[in-house]
Amino acid sequence: MKKVILISFIIAMLITLFSSVYAKDLSKSEIVHFWIAVPAGNITEPITIIKASLPPIKMAPLVIDLDQRGILKKILNPNTEAISTHWIYNIGKKPIRIKLELIEANYPIRWEVKAAWPYDPETHTFTKPLPPGMGIPKLSIDWIFEIPNYYMDEKVIYDGGLLVIDADTNELLTFIPIKLIRGGISQGGGASCG
Amino acid sequence: MWLKSLMRNKYRYISWIIGFILFVGPFAIIMRIYYYLAGILREPDLHTACFRMPIDWIFSGRIYYIFSYPEMFLFIFAVLITSLILGPIFCGWLCPVGAFSEAISRIIPLPNRYRIQIKDPRITRAIRYGFLTGFIMISILILLGFSERFTAICCWYCASSVLQQITNGIINPIELEYWFSGSIIVLIFWLIIGGIFTVGGRGWCLFFCPLGALSGIIHKIGSKLGFYRTIRIEGKCINCGKCISVCPMQAIDSNFSIERTLCINCKECISRCPNKLYKMIWRSKNASSKIN
Repeated sequence: MKKVILISFIIAMLITLFSSVYAKDLSKSEIVHFWIAVPAGNITEPITIIKASLPPIKMAPLVIDLDQRGILKKILNPNTEAISTHWIYNIGKKPIRIKLELIEANYPIRWEVKAAWPYDPETHTFTKPLPPGMGIPKLSIDWIFEIPNYYMDEKVIYDGGLLVIDADTNELLTFIPIKLIRGGISQGGGASCG
Repeated sequence: MWLKSLMRNKYRYISWIIGFILFVGPFAIIMRIYYYLAGILREPDLHTACFRMPIDWIFSGRIYYIFSYPEMFLFIFAVLITSLILGPIFCGWLCPVGAFSEAISRIIPLPNRYRIQIKDPRITRAIRYGFLTGFIMISILILLGFSERFTAICCWYCASSVLQQITNGIINPIELEYWFSGSIIVLIFWLIIGGIFTVGGRGWCLFFCPLGALSGIIHKIGSKLGFYRTIRIEGKCINCGKCISVCPMQAIDSNFSIERTLCINCKECISRCPNKLYKMIWRSKNASSKIN
């Protein structure tokens, strides 16, 4: 019996480790999490921003290959995909009222925003200035792409990006290009919220 | 049949409803009170008091999150302290995730012979703590720099998020439109395999909940110190086996011995035993060892 108990323990442990590897693989193509620093300009290649008092901020253009999603997702719920962030940091020198905008969307993208910071859902603007060196507390933003069937056959399903704008001056602070494709290699994102 | 079961342990079901109102949005009363007192604007939900992330943060060296999310650490601390003194009553009486799958299991009248039951609680315990060990190992591997290969499984496989999503979907069905692989897997293992097809309906709690597993260890320590626990007393047993079949945690073996790391002090065995051979005690270590 001791052998059975030991084997049960080891198998459970290995399944758990495998489930982590599986999750890591899928996190590059499903509900991709990414970091945002402002101002950071146009993000054309992977960068890491190191600032005292802030965690290292990794940013990159997002390329999400929907064909790399998990088998259950592809069978049961293929027409929606999401991207997500929990991290928007002001790395500049002045307080900023942050406005967000997703461009070039030909179909509905649903915003789900939660934060311990005043937010106007009509204009997608955090109405209180974010001080330098600070991140928006308890932030969770999911952008859910509701992709029509006829777009699912395209090679490029979404080719746009996230604009982060100073709501007071309309100055572009950061631009993260985002692509949803079919066939290719996912890149960027993959951060873990846990 | 389930109506009869409902009446037998009615206080527990009332407690489930209270647990739901206390933790699940749009109510989330406990976190709403905390947010109000702390002056936090955010709308709380079940995920505000995550059952798993602080455990990952501690072992992956990210304990500094205590400054950003003190409420999560306070919650975990409160659950573990009550587990020491009163047993895992949060699991048995308040946790909406466990309550939901157990309720589903009771509502769907599938005979136990079609459900998964591990007869030997030592094997159940081995699987439970195999998962916990794996969970902690992942956190340590991330701490050691293997984050390119491993990710914390807290958020990817999160039954709390799925329960909150289902609840949100009742209010606003559009919330049910997006599922990712992790949430689909959780739905299958938490409600279908762990709920409908596992005896007791707590397959998720048994095998995939690190907080439940930690509470079990703490309860074992607490019981050795003489704190609140369920015991089986000497008496005339008619071997009906009802205690075994109603235990949602499959914690009672064929010799009617209770596996302490699995028991959640739910009182199902107490209310079901025809000869009242189970009871809860709060006694000194010496007194309890005589009975056990």
